[in-house]
Amino acid sequence: MMNGKEYIDSLRDLNLEVYFFGQKIKSIVDEPMFQPHIHTAAMTYELAHDPEYEQIMTASSHLTGERINRFTHIHHSIDDLVKKVRMMRLLGQKTGTCFQRCVGLDGLNAVYVTTYDIDQKHGTNYHERFKDYLLEVQKNDWMPSGAMTDARGDRSLRPSKQKHPDTYLHIKERLEDGIIVSGMKAHITGAINSHEIITMPTRTMGEEDRDFALSFAIPADAKGVTYIFSRQTNDTRRLDGVLDGGNPKYGIVGGEAIIVFKDVFVPWERVFMAGEYDFTNELVETFAGYHRSNYGGCKVGLADVVIGGSNWIADAHGINNASHIIDKLTEMIAMAETCWSCTLACSYEGYRTPSGAYHIHPLLANVTKLNITRMVYEWMRLAQDIAGGKIITLPSEKDLESPETMEILTECFTGKEGVSPRDIIKMLRLIENMSVGAGLPEAMHGAGSPAAQKIMIARRSGIDRKMELAKIIAGIHKDKYFEEIIGKDETAHWDEVKKKIKGKKVQIY
Amino acid sequence: MPSIGLRYCGGCNPQIDRSKVIRKLEEGLKERGMKLDLTTNRKSTVDIILLINGCIHACLEEEYLREGDSPQFITIKGEMVESQYVKEEHIPECLIKKIVDLLNSPSH
Repeated sequence: MMNGKEYIDSLRDLNLEVYFFGQKIKSIVDEPMFQPHIHTAAMTYELAHDPEYEQIMTASSHLTGERINRFTHIHHSIDDLVKKVRMMRLLGQKTGTCFQRCVGLDGLNAVYVTTYDIDQKHGTNYHERFKDYLLEVQKNDWMPSGAMTDARGDRSLRPSKQKHPDTYLHIKERLEDGIIVSGMKAHITGAINSHEIITMPTRTMGEEDRDFALSFAIPADAKGVTYIFSRQTNDTRRLDGVLDGGNPKYGIVGGEAIIVFKDVFVPWERVFMAGEYDFTNELVETFAGYHRSNYGGCKVGLADVVIGGSNWIADAHGINNASHIIDKLTEMIAMAETCWSCTLACSYEGYRTPSGAYHIHPLLANVTKLNITRMVYEWMRLAQDIAGGKIITLPSEKDLESPETMEILTECFTGKEGVSPRDIIKMLRLIENMSVGAGLPEAMHGAGSPAAQKIMIARRSGIDRKMELAKIIAGIHKDKYFEEIIGKDETAHWDEVKKKIKGKKVQIY
Repeated sequence: MPSIGLRYCGGCNPQIDRSKVIRKLEEGLKERGMKLDLTTNRKSTVDIILLINGCIHACLEEEYLREGDSPQFITIKGEMVESQYVKEEHIPECLIKKIVDLLNSPSH
């Protein structure tokens, strides 16, 4: 297993073609705009070496029995699923942002589960291929990015009907030794600082979309792959100094990128789905289930940070004992722990798939993520409320350090006796970073937008059974337990009751 | 007469109608002229134990250890029988096949 520094060094061996701000980036590792994201991913490696966290951060490989980083593990028990979300919360607490590596973890698990089922139906050999690939991932402690979302073009048209075929990643040619693929994947988390890319289809495909029913893995620097790095809120503040960035060490959200595949060759041994459109739904839903359940872990870790920050700033301003502050903090804690309860339930109610890997409870995972799309906004709103308007009016670090303005600004930001004004500004900047920036829409749309969760919830709610429950209680359908309790047929019972009422007897039984 | 022990999970939020599945199983066995004793009596010695879990979480699997000398098990887990996805209406038919296979197996 690599540690944090070794992970960063390992990225130097890659030769990625990355564009940002109209320029080709020479060194990913040395680019200040990328460094916070790289530090965050490095935390997933570093904590695996700390005895204090190794119980959560590492696992025993079901393939080799060796100790591996849990981010390369296939869940093989309920305990694994529980530890997975504990790991998410822990890393959220340690970084205050998205640590990126869960997407690849969920991709590994979803492809593992689905390739087994494809082989059972079609007699293919994807699962064994995938296990060979997984061994490589575990042995090298790779971070693969999980590339699911296609550009998608006109959403009303199927992938095969798009005017621009590259809006969806697809097979261009089938060769004896592999396939040639082209297309693009959008807003892929951690893409530029991953060793590998695992692709998955973005939606359910039909027979006419056979060439778009596709999953494979390639090195991140494979020939024909280019990246265009996305912007985040206030990202160029990183170039202005240390303080203004808010979370200068770990940044904001996951460092997303567009990945362009232009005539990329993928050898068959790294292809895990090539035309089995009847399993696209399973792969998408399995991945989405894993990923949506994570959000009740990582975002709650972030909530722990912002709740702590809000309390600290209230204390620094001398208002932490005010009843309205205590009330707001309590609200934040209750919401965060509600989401945590949801994600634990996803794991504890998980199940063993035919492949032997364990999957979370799909309905609960979608409920968890739907709660996150709302509650993150609510607890961040309360953080803004407690922190005050200063989070959007703070002066720059340069003014704080300028001889002309330093003294007056220090006086202006003085709080309670003994608290450094610079520390107050640091904390306000962190709250600004976490509650005003890109983290909010990320909580909304990451792992799928609310509408996607509602579709899944409606599909899996078992509403027919709920109707039956209501019909039995309403007396529309027979209630055999009620009849057992009263010792007679329900109709006869109510006829007797009606007679007694008619006779105006108070004691009807 | 071969016997099957029926074990139901607690049924907190089942994805299938467990009693209907067993009713249909009994009807299917009868139609095929198969005489089997289906019992919920936990004290009876049985040839096969049928674990009837209402959902894929399969609480009963945690309770029953599969040891070599214990009776043979068949597990329903919502719309799964063992490790195979099966639509609710096809579960009884799938169970009959598995029961026949187990009763005809050399170990039995």
